[in-house]
Parts: sequence; structure tokens; C-alpha cells
Amino acid sequence: MHEPHHPVQASYLRMTAQEITQDVIQRHESPGRQFWMVTSVLAGLLGLGIIGFIILLSKGFEDRNAWGYYATTFAYIFTAAQSAVLISVALRMVKAHWRRPIARISELFAAVGLFTFLLLIPLLWVLPVTTGRRSIWFEWPGHSPHLWDTLALGLLVVCGLALLYFASIPDMAAVRDHATGARQNRYRRMALGWQGSLHQWKKLQVGISLLGGFYFILLIVVHMLISVDFAMSLVPGWKDAIFPAFHAITGFQSAVALTIVTMSILRWKTSLRRYIEADQFWGLSKLLLALSLLWFYFWWSGFFTYWYGRQPAEQSILKFLMFETYKVPFILAFLLCFVTPFVILMWNFVRKTIWGPTLAASIVLVGTFFNAIRFYVPAYSIEDSSLHFLETLPPANTPGGVDILIIIGGIAGAVLVYMLASRVFPIVSTWELKEGLLLQRVRKLMKIQIKVLAKPE
Amino acid sequence: MVNERVNHKWGMVVDIDRCTGCQACVVACQAENNIPLNTEAIFRQRRAIEWIHVERYWEGEFPDVKARFIPILCQHCENAPCEPVCPVYATYHNNQGMNVQVYNRCVGTRYCANNCSYQVRFFNYWEPVWPETLKNQLNPDVTVRSRGIMEKCSFDIQRLRKAEHVIEGQRGERITDENLREGNFLPACVQACPTTTLVFGDFNDPESQVSQMKEEHFVEGGRGYKLLEDLGTEPNVIYLKKVDIHAKTGVETHA
Amino acid sequence: MQERVRLSDAQINRDLLRSIFETPKWYWFLVAFLGLVVLAGFTAAGYMFNQGLGVTGLNRPVMWGFFITNFVFWIGISHAGVMLSAILRLVQAEWRRPATRAAEVLTVFSLMTAMMMPLIHAGRPWRVMYWVFPYDFARGVYPNVRSALVWDPAAVFTYLTSSILFVFIALVPDIAVLRDRTTGWRHVMYSVLSLGWRGSVRQWKLQLIAGILLSAIILPIFVSVHSIVSWDFGTAMSVEGWHSTVFAPYFVIGAVHSGVSAVVTVMIALRWVFKWENYIRMEHLDALAKLLIVVATGWFYFFILEFIFGLYSLEGPEVALREMQVFQMPWTALFITFLLCAYFIPVPMWLIPKVRRSIPLMIFTTILVNIGMWLERFIIIVPGLARKQVFTFTWGGYTPSAVEIVIVIATFALVSMLVLLFAKVFPLIPIGDAKEGMILYDEIKIGKVMVPAVMREE
Repeated sequence: MHEPHHPVQASYLRMTAQEITQDVIQRHESPGRQFWMVTSVLAGLLGLGIIGFIILLSKGFEDRNAWGYYATTFAYIFTAAQSAVLISVALRMVKAHWRRPIARISELFAAVGLFTFLLLIPLLWVLPVTTGRRSIWFEWPGHSPHLWDTLALGLLVVCGLALLYFASIPDMAAVRDHATGARQNRYRRMALGWQGSLHQWKKLQVGISLLGGFYFILLIVVHMLISVDFAMSLVPGWKDAIFPAFHAITGFQSAVALTIVTMSILRWKTSLRRYIEADQFWGLSKLLLALSLLWFYFWWSGFFTYWYGRQPAEQSILKFLMFETYKVPFILAFLLCFVTPFVILMWNFVRKTIWGPTLAASIVLVGTFFNAIRFYVPAYSIEDSSLHFLETLPPANTPGGVDILIIIGGIAGAVLVYMLASRVFPIVSTWELKEGLLLQRVRKLMKIQIKVLAKPE
Repeated sequence: MVNERVNHKWGMVVDIDRCTGCQACVVACQAENNIPLNTEAIFRQRRAIEWIHVERYWEGEFPDVKARFIPILCQHCENAPCEPVCPVYATYHNNQGMNVQVYNRCVGTRYCANNCSYQVRFFNYWEPVWPETLKNQLNPDVTVRSRGIMEKCSFDIQRLRKAEHVIEGQRGERITDENLREGNFLPACVQACPTTTLVFGDFNDPESQVSQMKEEHFVEGGRGYKLLEDLGTEPNVIYLKKVDIHAKTGVETHA
Repeated sequence: MQERVRLSDAQINRDLLRSIFETPKWYWFLVAFLGLVVLAGFTAAGYMFNQGLGVTGLNRPVMWGFFITNFVFWIGISHAGVMLSAILRLVQAEWRRPATRAAEVLTVFSLMTAMMMPLIHAGRPWRVMYWVFPYDFARGVYPNVRSALVWDPAAVFTYLTSSILFVFIALVPDIAVLRDRTTGWRHVMYSVLSLGWRGSVRQWKLQLIAGILLSAIILPIFVSVHSIVSWDFGTAMSVEGWHSTVFAPYFVIGAVHSGVSAVVTVMIALRWVFKWENYIRMEHLDALAKLLIVVATGWFYFFILEFIFGLYSLEGPEVALREMQVFQMPWTALFITFLLCAYFIPVPMWLIPKVRRSIPLMIFTTILVNIGMWLERFIIIVPGLARKQVFTFTWGGYTPSAVEIVIVIATFALVSMLVLLFAKVFPLIPIGDAKEGMILYDEIKIGKVMVPAVMREE
């Protein structure tokens, strides 16, 4: 734990504020040819997805079973991208200094919210009314989930975008100061007259923490609404109080994994090595380990209560979701969301590398996809949601060609939106780095170099 | 003489249609099983011990309400929720389909009572006392339970053991409904029931009355049902619905 | 805004050992008073053993009442110790330093008290060994491992053992300090307990490694203990109000909520009693209150999940249970008090920075939280049993008897008395930790101001 000569990370501490700004802004201006190549490939894949979507649409909304994988794609993108914003919010809340270089990387996922929202719209026609079946809307009109879930997700997306925009204002001002011509004009308008006065900084801080707190609460609410309305309440007899919390945990888990993977792609393909270091991977991999353990804990609490009770209604749910019909996605999710990341990340020396967290995070991203499959596909494969409990289990729905097109297109679309958003907002937050320069010092204590962190409050 | 043991599965059929709510079964059980006296004070404390008790409930909506009686006793569930939760194995399932209570093992955590869906497990909150005049009435075949332990309906296992001993062991015959009745081996409540609401027998014996009643009534639209069937406890006590003489069709009962 | 004063090592020793070397008169009065209450509790328990459980208010539907509520409550309090020491040690939170020992000691004593509850509530308490110990004695029957009641003692005793170890490991350097300052039989006692501590680099290193290892090991135990306690209820499928999948995390986070609040109460009491103003500072209360806001809100989220999904299927017993909890007196009053105490009064108050730095308000809010959390367990346990299934004729109620009330009050006195007695023998603020905090304290000049700072190997 405490090696005597642990190298002090955060090599940006050896730079000056001007150097940091120069470096990041320059990168922001010229992304390079590879960037555009990747975006065009992604656009092509998205096109395939749209073709798939049109085929699906032509079949109509009546056959809910056909929409299972579409719902999965929506849920997967929602859980990963919308929760990713939370990484920066949470780390900022606990004042973790190592978050500074990666805060924007996770915040940028707020832009994907627009795409998530688009994906939700067709699902509203697929979702049956709540009349005559169990739901968290109890005696409310049957269309309540359609209305409130849309509003809540919309609000979440708007809130995320506002947070992203707000937290980037100083950086956009920096771009403005370094750019010329039309670009300067554009960023002048976007920077909203940022001058960096004390008053402005105070407003920014308050705005960020308020939006962050609001986003946090809203995200938990939306997780609850979507997990119950779009999955749990469609399966008769499935009454699992922990499910919304479990859904949120898988969201956080995929969010951390997504941030780690994005970080290592940036490290690998761009020259941001100086900012994204083992420190960040170490911090996030500890979180990922904790969340993988929580994944198991929440799953176990739900599973165990059902399994021990031996009630027929609950047994049929276990059979349906875990042990018979959707056995394969469950086992894959269990292995990829819990077992493998746990085995990889339990070692501190692995957590301190770059490859270890990256490997575990990629595995978790695949795992959370299967995790989404095991909830959403079964939910849409049930014809009559108003039954008392599942007496006969419907057959498993395996993905067809259209489903695969939609999955690929959906994920490609989300990545595309993210990449385009990174053209608008610099992907490394320079003002947070510069704040870090103020609050951190490297000093010598006895024989070792040690970081000194200021606690202004 | 090695006697091949017949595997019994004791059970009961309760025909609600015949129950008049006379409480004879309750009294018989009380006398047979050395159950402490349920005084008024104890009733008020909600600590009365009645291994079988007749409950009254209301059926239908006002003004079309009907009072109904239902005798409730331990359901001897095949899948009993009370069994796995006992930390000391004081309650377990024996190989005759009965849920039995071992008084000596019980330490009185009362977890089984909490986890019993039918609420037919009773705890001895007080040391049982009998007036001098009743002491000679105590049944020597049944343990007097001390305070601090759980007890519940045993299907009068002392009589069944005697039946096995006498009928199977000594006479070498098979136990049937007839020789159970003739030898006074039926549970006290069944013996005492004047309307034959309670029918006791071996579900493993296809000839027995209970097996035949089960076969007759557990059909689509039949009268047979089990209490709280949704919980999947699979009781060995089955009930037959009350026949509603005023309802000509099924529709009217729901009106 | 930190009110830190640079203190010399000698000053720290003098201050923190004050509780051991100086005994004010009120101390013995207080101990004697608490002792009397504890005695009353033991007398009540003795009476109960003698007469049988009839002297309680328990009855047929409600077989568990005050004792089990109190058991869950004290298990909950015990969670603060590990939450504060282990997690904060692992994340190297600087403000944990004065809080850890008090929290750990509270863990140990509240666990002991908690485990007494189910034992005395058994019908035949003289036979509980058959249940608690995994041994077949002369009966040839091992305890039934399928029962959640067997997991309970297993989990609690594991937790107790590891917490005692945890306290002891952290205590060894402080005991050595005491050894060097005492004579006579106390010197002998401290010498034995200090395990030959000389303060060499190797010893410090071993102590540090042991502390970190124990922190990491104790965390899963801490989660498991309250999860298992919650499964006493969650696995009971016959009780509609208990059979909820959310119980494990709900109980764990509720435990942390009440436990951390209790630690704040204890810390404030210590600060006042032993005049440790230089050690337990406003910034510590501030940080703890902020932590409490997060924990309380997390707990509230799980409460909402529990409540909504308690009603989700709208089946008879579910609706009846919630109706009893919310609309039937006296439960309505309890329910409202519970919500106000556990969340709606303290949390908005903690949002105000001035409250977080006010001693009377912090002690007020944290005591409120524990009143609320005690009621929370009561409201889960009793109405759940009183509205178990659809048979209305088995529904009932519960009123605690005087015996139960006395015993519950006595447990509070017992824990307070044990903590006070502990303070007489060992320092309640880790001396080594306080000194380390002084060394790692630094200042950074930002612009024109000097800002307090800490050194850290991140």
C-alpha cells in the first residue's frame, strides 16, 4: 500500500497554466485525419442501424417481442452514457483532485443524452398502458409512464447538457482567446462573456454544484422510472424492490467502465498522456472494483430473497430471468460484470497499470450489455402483462439480423454523438487543471516526494 | 418378524360445507393434547393456544353478506416455511408428510411462528397450570409443554404411532380408514366432529376416503382448494368450498 | 476555516490521557447512576426469566417486538465503527482521526449489547447455546444452517472478534504510552497489553499494514452482518411486509445512518466531558454532517423503494399493512415522528453550514436521527407481523410491557457505561493518530492567503 518511493503522479503539476491552455486548445483545434475517418465509419454504421430501425418500424408496434433488442439498446445507452456524467459530478463532490484531467471526458457523455432521448420516442408506442397490470403508477391513468418517463428523461438530458455547457464556459472562453475569425466569433457567443472575474467564478461554482446535485437525484429517479416501467412492470409476478437500485448500480458500473475505456483510447490515439495517467486509472479502477462487488451484492440480495422464499410466483421469475429461459445472458452478465472484473481488479498492482483497468472496463462494458439483455428482452417477450404471475414461461427471444443492425447502429450512433460533441467542447477541462495547479504542491518529506493538498474550506 | 413399513402420508380434508362452527373439535383437541386452559385473561392477551380453532369470516359485499366458519389447524405443509428457519431443528418434516415439533429441542426463538403463513403455531408464554380437579384428566401419552416453547397441531401423532404399533406391528394388517376408526386412532378433532367436516386419512392409500375426496373435488370447477395456495406451501390439509344454495349460477355469487 | 492549533507531542499526551489520570467526582456519580439503570434492566430480565415471556407484551401475531427492534438498532449503531474507521482509513480521509477510536469502541460495546437481545428474548434462554454455537453437544443435532437465525450469531461474533482486534491493533502504541506513564499493577497490565511496543520503524510498519488489512477484511464482514440481520426478515416469505428484496442494502445504509449519528453524539459528549476542543473540532463535525447528508439521502431512497414496492402489487395484506403504518393510531404518530426525526428535520438542518458547526444543534439532530431510526425498525417489525397474510382473524397489535421498556432503556445505559469505563482505562482519541495528523499538516500559500493543507500519498 505504502511504497516508500511511490512516484508522485499528476505530471501536469510541473507545467504552467499557460502551457496547459496552449497544449489543450491546440489539440482541440486540429483533431487530425483519423478522427474524421472514424466518424465517417461510425456514420456508416449508424446508417445500417437506421435501415434496421426502418425495417422494425414497418412491422408496426403491435408485436412487442420484436422490440426487445431495440429496448435493450436504448437501455444500454441510457445506463452507460447518462450515468457517465455522474463520475465527474461525484468526484467533484468529494473533492478528489485526481478527477481534474478526466472530469470533462465523463461530462461529455451528457451530449449522448440527445441520442438516448431519440431512441426513447418509438418505445413509447410499444409500451402498453398500465391499466390492469401492476405498475408504480398505481391508480393513475394508463398513460402515466409514457408522459412522466419522457418528461423525466427529457429533463435529465437538458440538465446534463446544461451541466456540460456550464462547466465548459471557462474553456470556451479560452478557445475564444486563442482562435481567430468565425471560430472566435462562435466561441465568443458560446462563452457568454466570460472574463474570469471573482463574481463569475463564484456563480460558476454554485451553478456546477447545484446542477450536479440535481442531476444526481434526477438520474436516480429516471433509473427507477425506466427500469420499472420499461422492464419490471411488464413481467407479471416480478416484484423486486431492489431492482431500480440494481439498475442504477449497473449504470454507475458501466459509466466508470465507459470513462476508463474512453480514457485509454484517448491515451492511445491522442497525445493526452501527460494528463491521463495511472493515477486516474487507479482511482477509477478502485471505483470499478467497488461497483463490481456492489453488482454482486445487489444481485444477491434480490436473488436470495426470492430463492429462499420458494414461492411459485418468485420461482418462475428466477427461472425465467436467470435459470432457464434467459440463462445465457445471465451467466454472461454474471461472469463479465462481477467475476472477471473482480478477479482482475482485486490486485493493487493491476489497478496501478493502464492495461489492467482498461481490460476490466472493456469486459464490464460487454457484461452490462448482456445485463441489459437479460432484463429488457424478457420483459418484451411477454404478451399479457396483466397476469397474476408467470405460469408458463414464454420462449427465449434470440436476436435476428434486424436486431443486430439496431444494436450496432445504436452504439455507433452514441459514439458518433460523443465524438462530435468533443469537437465543440475541449475534451480536457483546462480550468480544473489550472485550479489543481493552485491547490496542489509537490514537497519533500524526509526522503520522499509527497503531494500536499490544500483544504480551503 | 420383519414388517415392511408402509409409507403413509397423513392428511385431512375439511369440508367447509358441513361445518356448523360447534367447536367440538376445539374442545376435543384441548382435552387430548394437554393444552393449557385458555382463560379470559389469556384470550385478552391474544395468547390463547388452540391447535385447531374455528374462525368466522364474512363472505360477500353488504347487504349480501354471509357468515362462514372455517376450522384452521396446522396445514402440515410439504414445503413448510416454518421448517428451514428454526435454528435448532425443533421443527422438521417427517417421512409421513407431517410437520412435527420436537419440544425438547425448542429454545423459543418464535421465528417459526413468524414465518407460518397460517398462524397455527402457538407459543407458551406462561407455565401451564391446571386446577387440581383437572390434573387427573391430563393425557399420559402427551408431553406437557413447559413455558418458552412452541407447539402446534400434531395430527395426534401419539394415536398414529399406537395405530402403527397395534395394526401394523401386532396384527400385521394395513392401516385403513376402518381400522383407524375402530381402534380409536383417529385424531381427537376428527372423532369429535359431529358433522364429519373433518376427514382424516392416508393420501398414499388410494382406497382412503381422503384420497377419493381429493380426486373427486380437485378437478376443474371442483370444490377443492388449499389455503394460500399462491405461497406454494403445498399443505396436506385440503379444504372443500361451501356450496352456496342461493347461487344458481356462478355469475350470481360475484354480483 | 480550520481551527487547528499546532500542539506539541507532550501537550497531546497530556490532553488525551487526561481521561485516564484525572477522575472528576461527577464521573463516578455518572457511572453509578448508569450502573443503577443497568441493574434495573438485569432485574427486569431476571424477573422475565423467572416468570416467562408472558410478562412482555408479545402475543400471537406479534411474536417479535421491542427486543428484536432493539437488537437491530444496536447492530445498526455498531456499523458506524467500521464505516468510519475502515472506509475513511482506506480513503485516507484526514478528518477521521479523532473519530475512529470512539466509533470502534462503540461498535464493540453495541455489538455485545445487541447480541444479548435475541438471547434473552428466547423462550428458554438457558438453552440458547444449542442455537448460538455450531456444536452438537450431547444431542447429536447441529444448529440448522438453513436458518437465518444461525447466520446471525456467526456474523455477529465474527464481526465482534474482528472489531476487537481492530480496536486493539490501533490501541497498542497508545497502551505503550500509558505503560511508560504508570506504576504498580497498572504498569503491569499495560506492559502485558502493549505487546513489547517500542515504536520502532518495523513495528509501526507492521501496525500500519495490520490496520489496513483489517480494514479491508472487516468491510465485507460489516456489510454481511447487517445484510444477514435483514434476512431474518427478508427471507420470511410468510410476512408480506418483510419479504422484500431491498432489505439488505436498506438495513445496511440505515445502520450507517444511525451509527454515524451516534458517533457524532458520542464525540460531542467526549469533547465536552474531557475538554478535547483542540482535537474534536468544528471541521470534524462539519465533515461528518456532510457525510450524514449523503448517507441519509441514500437511506431515504431505499426507504422509498421499500415503501413503493411494499404496495406495488396492491394485494390485501400489503395495503392493510401500509394502512396500519400510516393511518392507524398510534402508528400514524410513530410514522410521522419517524420520518421527521430520521430525515425531514435533520437533513435540511445539516444543509445549513452554521448548523453543521454548532454543538447543540448537532447533538440535537443526531439524537433525533437515532430516535427516528429506532422507530423505523419498530415500524417495520411489528406492523409487518400484525398484518401478515390475508386472514383478517389473525391480525393483531402490540403494546410493550414495562419489563420490555426497562430492559431497552437499560441497554442504552449499559453502552454508555461501558464507553465511560473504557475511557477510564484507554484513551478514546488515538494519540498516535493525532500526532501523525500534526506531522502531515501543512500550509500552502495561494495568492495572498495561507491555506491549510495535508500531505498525502495519493
